[in-house]
Amino acid sequence: MKALIVDDSNVMRRIIINGLKELPNMEFLEAADGREAVEACNTENPGLVLMDWNMPNLPGLDAVKAIRGMGKTMPIIMVTTEAEKERVILAMQCGANDYLIKPFTPADLQAKVKSALTRFG
Amino acid sequence: MKAEYINPFIESVDNVFQTMLGVIPKRGAPHIAGADDQAGRDISALIGLSGKARGMVALCFPTKTALSVITRLFGDETTSIDQTVIDGISEFVNMVAGSAKAKFNTDPPIDIGLPMVVRGSNYRLEPPSRAVWLSVPFESELGPFVLEVSVQIQS
Repeated sequence: MKALIVDDSNVMRRIIINGLKELPNMEFLEAADGREAVEACNTENPGLVLMDWNMPNLPGLDAVKAIRGMGKTMPIIMVTTEAEKERVILAMQCGANDYLIKPFTPADLQAKVKSALTRFG
Repeated sequence: MKAEYINPFIESVDNVFQTMLGVIPKRGAPHIAGADDQAGRDISALIGLSGKARGMVALCFPTKTALSVITRLFGDETTSIDQTVIDGISEFVNMVAGSAKAKFNTDPPIDIGLPMVVRGSNYRLEPPSRAVWLSVPFESELGPFVLEVSVQIQS
C-alpha cells in the first residue's frame, strides 16, 4: 500500500518513514507541501495520507479539503504540533480521519496508522 | 513578559527531548538574556508566535550539540552542519513552540509561523523595545543548549 507522507521538513518525513517501515507492505511517497500532496493524491492515489498542518505554499488543512473535494476517501491522519482541541475538531470537520500530535514515539505513530487503516481503509 | 510564561516552554523542551531522543535534559536557572549568554551558540532555530500571543521562541546550540542531536535521532554519525541538521533543529523548535502554545489555552489558539535557522557565532537575538528574552540553559548527555523565549499574551 502506498502511504503519502506530507511535511515540509525532510527530517520529519524521515522520522515518520523510519517509524512505519516495520509495517508490512508499505511503500512510501513524499510531498513537501500541501500543493505537492494534492497532486500526488491525484496521480498516485495513495491508500493513506499523513499530513502536516503548517507548511508553505498550501497548508495541510487546505490540502485535506482539496483532496476530499476530488472525491478521494483514503484515510488522512494529521501529524502536527497543533495540539489545541479547536484545531483537532477543525481538522476533522475538514475531512481528516485522525490526529497525531508531535512529538510522538514510533509506537504512537504505528498505533494511529493501524487504527486508521482498520477503521477507514 | 511574565516570568511564568516560560514554564510551558520548559515543559515542552523536556517532552520533545524525552520523546524524540530519549534524553532527559537538566535545566539551569531562567534569567533575562544578556550579552554573557551569547557564547557557544553556533546554530539557532527560531519560530514566531502571532494571534493571541506575540513573540519568538529560539533553541540555540553549539555545533557539537546540534550534530549529536541529529546523530541520536537517526543513528547515523553526523559530522557537519548540513540540511538535515538545519531541518532537524527547525523541527525541534517547531515542536517546542507547538506543545507550549497549547498549554496557554487561549481562544482562539495561538498561531505559530514557519521556523528559520540562524548560523554563525557572532550574533545576538534582540527583542523589540519593551520586550525581553528569557533565557534557560540546559545540560544534556548530548551537550548544552539554550532555550530563549520572548512572548506577550493578549488578554
